[in-house]
Amino acid sequence: MGQSRREFLKTTAIGASAAGVVGFPAVTRAQGGKLVVWWNKGYYPEEDIAMQKIVKEFEAKHKVEVDLSFTAQEDLLKKITAALIARRTPDVAFCFYNDWQVVPKYGWDDKLADVSDVIKELKARYNEKMLEVAYVWNNKSKKRSYYGVPIEAQTMHIHYWRDLLREAGMDDDPAKIPLKWDDYWAFWKKAQDTLRKKDPAKYGKLYGLGVTESTRASDTLYNFEMALLSFNGEILDKNGKIVADQPKNKKAIVDTLKWFGDMFTSGYVPPDATNWTDGDNNAGFHSHTLVMTPNPSQSIPAAQFFNKEDPEKKNYFDNMATIEWPDGPDGKKARYLSAVKTIIIPKDSKNQAKAKDFIKFVVEKDRFLEYIKAANGRWFPAFTDVAADPFWKEGHKGPKGQKDLHVPVATRIFLERDNKVFEHYKHPALSQVYDEFAYAKAISRIITDKWTADKAADEMIERMKAIFAQYK
Amino acid sequence: MSPTTREGGLAASSRVEVRPRARLPRFLRSTTLQGFAFTAPLLLLFSAFVLYPMLSGLYAATDPDSYRAIFGDPVFRQTVWNTLWYVVVAVNVKLVLALLLSGILDYPFLSIRVLAALFLIPWAIPALPGILSFRWALNSQWGIFNHLLTKFGFQSVPWLAQHDTALAFVIIFHIWKYLPFWTIIFLAGRRAIPNELYEAAAIDGGGIVQNFFSITFPLLKSLYLICTLLSMVFTLGDFTVPWLLTGGAPGDTTHVLATLAYRYTFAMGRLEWGLSTFAVALPITLLFIGMLMRWVKI
Repeated sequence: MGQSRREFLKTTAIGASAAGVVGFPAVTRAQGGKLVVWWNKGYYPEEDIAMQKIVKEFEAKHKVEVDLSFTAQEDLLKKITAALIARRTPDVAFCFYNDWQVVPKYGWDDKLADVSDVIKELKARYNEKMLEVAYVWNNKSKKRSYYGVPIEAQTMHIHYWRDLLREAGMDDDPAKIPLKWDDYWAFWKKAQDTLRKKDPAKYGKLYGLGVTESTRASDTLYNFEMALLSFNGEILDKNGKIVADQPKNKKAIVDTLKWFGDMFTSGYVPPDATNWTDGDNNAGFHSHTLVMTPNPSQSIPAAQFFNKEDPEKKNYFDNMATIEWPDGPDGKKARYLSAVKTIIIPKDSKNQAKAKDFIKFVVEKDRFLEYIKAANGRWFPAFTDVAADPFWKEGHKGPKGQKDLHVPVATRIFLERDNKVFEHYKHPALSQVYDEFAYAKAISRIITDKWTADKAADEMIERMKAIFAQYK
Repeated sequence: MSPTTREGGLAASSRVEVRPRARLPRFLRSTTLQGFAFTAPLLLLFSAFVLYPMLSGLYAATDPDSYRAIFGDPVFRQTVWNTLWYVVVAVNVKLVLALLLSGILDYPFLSIRVLAALFLIPWAIPALPGILSFRWALNSQWGIFNHLLTKFGFQSVPWLAQHDTALAFVIIFHIWKYLPFWTIIFLAGRRAIPNELYEAAAIDGGGIVQNFFSITFPLLKSLYLICTLLSMVFTLGDFTVPWLLTGGAPGDTTHVLATLAYRYTFAMGRLEWGLSTFAVALPITLLFIGMLMRWVKI
């Protein structure tokens, strides 16, 4: 049967309208009375169990249904990013990357709920230094406010194998490791040289320094910024203005880059360190192919604590130790950076009041202590009353009465050392500098492209300035 | 014999007139409407999952600031070069090898059949374990490649920690993984060539090389070109191999457009940059698709 043009248009219009009505149903943003919570999957099952318990208690007390889901951090970040862009959000989201990749950017874009009232209520309990991380600029309201609730933090530690040092005939006592800048790094190099010489077949591919220098690992940011602090460099001033090109800071950046480049080319860092992900230095360390590795959480000792092949926990208590970052080249005590993990409430959440109640419920002292202890010391609490628990000062007790050489070190760094949060809260452009791995790229210029540290620093600073210029 | 129409029905003169009881409006009796009704599920799905995302993506990629930003990013420029290398080298090497190997697999020996089964393994296994195996084999500390090199007195090489070797291994893995598939396609093409042609060539004293250039290749030429275009479209959008093997490292120097767009979108939260990166590749992809459609006369 033939058809006229008019008939064709008529039927096409009907088809298109039907597709419009049926094909694109409006997705309900609000989940009714249900509170939707996206939570970072814990590293240990105990963490998830503790959170599930909290949720059950909250449901019973507040007579509300909670839709709790756990997602691994890499996937959760993508999920949260997509949700915020698409404005189909959960009511509460906690991801280990929120502090760095969500709060500064989406606070700036006015996509997060202001939680100043929650912070005000909890303020007396907070370790004040950790609070800054969520105090970010909203470019719509043109003022700073709290767009996240910080709960726990991580900082830089250095882990080493005591048994390898013993085998090299070196002093393995953490108190005896030299803390002066040059001596400190030379110590690990000596361990590599000695072990390789002693047994080339066994240790021929062992490296002294497991320092990540890759564009694939957030550990690189930590390593770079820690070294930059040691060389007295700053990227931002107190108002969030970029000052990396000021002579003092430029020199510190060049020194830092040169230090990374020299360390790599001297043959004491595995060549694959420029291609490592965050887990690769852990894997190298666990397999005894690295004498030491800097790591910005207690994940390495925590993994050994749960090592089923080592029921007596010899590795945790006897064969490895955690120590501090060395004093700077100028002899000053190390200054530390903390990454403070933060809960957010998206602005598009229709259950903001309930979401705030939920967060306050989670961080109540005893409840939160149980939750954070389930992470086995991996995180340090942002609340002083929780941090006052003896666990943080003493850690675990060994089966033979051994002292914990890991958790108390982290506690000392958090409570007794000069410690500040990463400065992306000052300006979201710094968060993008991190996202682009600008530091790692500059290191790669030196290592791979054989650039001078000066030239690599110039390119990096120019790129940083270009990124900052994008935020108006 | 009654006259019949082309459809096989009776001619008008011999038809029995049946009047419908109630006459429906003309457009409801239209076969076009019936066609739409039957294809509605597909149209709806296509609209929801192809048209709508594509149009909204294109709309979001119209922001000129995004193009200024990505063209100002040195990683983007490097990525365009990497993508060209990846597509041109990987596709051509892979297809030339596939064409040659299909000739070997065409021999009717048991040993060749066993070899063919083994040869298919890289294609049959999921990409992830294959890539992880490569990563382990290429590790500079404990990988088998460097173990063998050092055993024979050579220096170990950080394969995935320097741009040239890392990109080379992305290409090598791609070839290793997808070569069997295209070989099988060419093998099927070879088997469709009538044997009489080879018999006639044998009578005329034609050898293997002459047969290849005078019979096999001319008859497979169309298939080869179609495969090249298809493979270029697939490879241009390939994310899995470069992302899992190098993740852009070292120093973000081994990204291809697909991985860079992913990085912009999900690692940096810049959806508009990611979409603009895809939009840059779109004209080339459409060109390939257009050539392909013209070639196969769709």
